Amino acid sequence: MSLFWFRDSEYLRGARTVALDTSAAAYSLASSPLRAVEATDDYLQSRQSLREENARLRQENLVLKGRTQRLAAVLAENTRYKALLNSTAMLEGDVMVAEVIATAADPARHILVLDKGESQGVREGQPLLGADGLMGQIVQLGESTSRALLVTDAIHAVPVQVLRNGVRGIAEGTGDIDRLIVRHVATTTDIVVGDTLVTSGLGGRFPPGYPVAEVTAITAEPGAAFLTVTSRPMAQLDRGRHVMLVVDKPTIAVSADR
Amino acid sequence: MIGVNNGWVIASSLLVTLLFHAAPLPLEWRWFRPELVMLTLFYWSLALPHKVGIVSAAVTGLMVDVLNGSAVGALAMGMVVADVFILLNYQRIRQFDGLQQSITLAVLVALALLVEHWLMRAVGLGGTGLAFLWSVPLTLLCWLPLREILRGLRRQFEVL
Repeated sequence: MSLFWFRDSEYLRGARTVALDTSAAAYSLASSPLRAVEATDDYLQSRQSLREENARLRQENLVLKGRTQRLAAVLAENTRYKALLNSTAMLEGDVMVAEVIATAADPARHILVLDKGESQGVREGQPLLGADGLMGQIVQLGESTSRALLVTDAIHAVPVQVLRNGVRGIAEGTGDIDRLIVRHVATTTDIVVGDTLVTSGLGGRFPPGYPVAEVTAITAEPGAAFLTVTSRPMAQLDRGRHVMLVVDKPTIAVSADR
Repeated sequence: MIGVNNGWVIASSLLVTLLFHAAPLPLEWRWFRPELVMLTLFYWSLALPHKVGIVSAAVTGLMVDVLNGSAVGALAMGMVVADVFILLNYQRIRQFDGLQQSITLAVLVALALLVEHWLMRAVGLGGTGLAFLWSVPLTLLCWLPLREILRGLRRQFEVL
């Protein structure tokens, strides 16, 4: 299977793009009955439930608006502090919303097929966000579709730090949709169950500060040099129709990195 | 008459099973999805070995690889290996009774999946143990009904 060795070659770029778009079309066709049912369901909602939902959303909106106001103030304050510390300001990432067409058929891989591609300005390595946290990154581009690798895929890893004290690590996917592990954490490290892991921005691929996972278990084998830290992804990786793509290139906010 | 042997029936049966392969399923159920594409290809290879051989197996495998987003060519290789076995033994396999045939086909599907995962591991893409073999039991149960359907199609459209 010589194709195997040329899978990253530039000459096959066109073929890859076409193959990806075609497969996305197949996925979209295969899930169309389900979508039709969902759409009918949506259409046939009663007036009562719509009003209730409307009221609920209005409330939620108010609460969120309140929080955003506070966020603006905090952000301004933060920028001032950053300026004092002489480090690069963290840019507020702009996002683009994409719809999930399907999840790829292979159960061993955690891949989403999205409805935005190169022509909409998606690029390889672009971070993918859910409502609650980081979901993954774009790995393959089609003309109008793309594929994203989720953080829980067995070949994915993301640099993280503990929100509480800034301890750094690398969260690796396990192939389980609800488990990430951080290896090589020294036994004396200050990390406890319930800690939030956020992206550290090291490596420059993911913008810093997005929540990734919550620590669920810490195992210390007697005699072992490192702890094994297990965590649960914050983002709802296996549900939801829409995801966000961070648009501008992440800036590295850690001044020590320069 | 040359050219009137209804090859499109083979192609469309494979396309339909490919769509079934892409159909949405909850994540936990996906491990048990029967390998209908492979069974369909193996059926045609058993019934018409002069027509459906390793090239068809490789092309079909590539399509599944692209759908899966996995290492391109891995499943194609697996399917070619299993199909060679069918091409060498089709006369014998045709004589088997239902149970024997189901088991043989299930083993061949497992073989193809194993080769795929070897290759995936070799390029660093695998990683969840032997769980991919969970699709084999349902595949075994699917063989007889699928064989009847495809045989019906073959006779209806006189695919030669």
